[in-house]
Amino acid sequence: MAKRVAIIASHGGLDTAYKVLNIATTAAATDAEVGVFFTFDGLNIIHKDAAKRLTLPPGMEAYMEGFQRAQVPAVAELLQVAKESGVKLIACQMTMDVMNLKKEDFIDGVEVGGAATFLDFAYDADVTLAF
Amino acid sequence: MENLTVDKTIDCTGLSCPMPVVRTKKAMDALQAGQVLEVLATDPGSVTDIKSWAHRTGHQFIGTVEDGKVFKHYIRKVNPDEAKPERRHPHVVSNAELAAELGNQPVILDVREPAEYAFGHIPGAKSVPLGELERRLEELRPYAEQVVYVVCRTGHRSDMACQWLSEHGFRHVKNVVPGMSAWTGPVEREV
Repeated sequence: MAKRVAIIASHGGLDTAYKVLNIATTAAATDAEVGVFFTFDGLNIIHKDAAKRLTLPPGMEAYMEGFQRAQVPAVAELLQVAKESGVKLIACQMTMDVMNLKKEDFIDGVEVGGAATFLDFAYDADVTLAF
Repeated sequence: MENLTVDKTIDCTGLSCPMPVVRTKKAMDALQAGQVLEVLATDPGSVTDIKSWAHRTGHQFIGTVEDGKVFKHYIRKVNPDEAKPERRHPHVVSNAELAAELGNQPVILDVREPAEYAFGHIPGAKSVPLGELERRLEELRPYAEQVVYVVCRTGHRSDMACQWLSEHGFRHVKNVVPGMSAWTGPVEREV
């Protein structure tokens, strides 16, 4: 039976986007069933304006040059791979309300749900990660 | 090193994690069981990543060759039936029995894919991939009256080769089981 990986993304920096999406896409490539719950600033990762919103935290600016040198794929490309390989992207309803975000503010293919939706998926997970 | 014969090559040079694994997965999905994929990558992490990926997904990691700055990874798509080979050819010898015969320079046919053969085969074994058996029948004909040992990785492909050779007039064909997956005798490499 396929393994299940449940991930919580609660930070909004570019570095967090890579941590979350690298693990999610690789897990999906390994035939795992993957779900990511985006909450608080993690919602930036699936925002239509992710390219503008995802910045590096103070003190980490030097990573930008490294990302380019290492030819790290764009966040948009990783999100596309994630969607194509069946990664479930869940936006947290409660933080959307707090941050005044609508489902239309996110890229296509994002589901909206609450904590119970994520937990229902996570209870049967083999691996649970929080970023 | 000369190029190995493979069924497909994908170029992941310049790509960083996780793209080599993501592209490998996509390419493997499109292959038929038994076919071999070559993955070209410059990401040093791919050396352990591709191996782990193959292990986790049940495919056969054949090996990696370093060619300048490029890593060439070889993976074979595994047929789920291979785990439990049907050994229908009645004449079977163990790895140990074949190892004991090596001093007498026996005829050994290795029916795995060329890339698998290149990464390690029994000294003196002749590479005849299963899919080429029919085309190379005349070349093998001189062995029809001799004892011929047929080997693959787990005994599945060699079983099919043994049956086919027996049907085509080879009188003393023996399937070596389990084969190279458990071979502890001498090995020669081409890479």
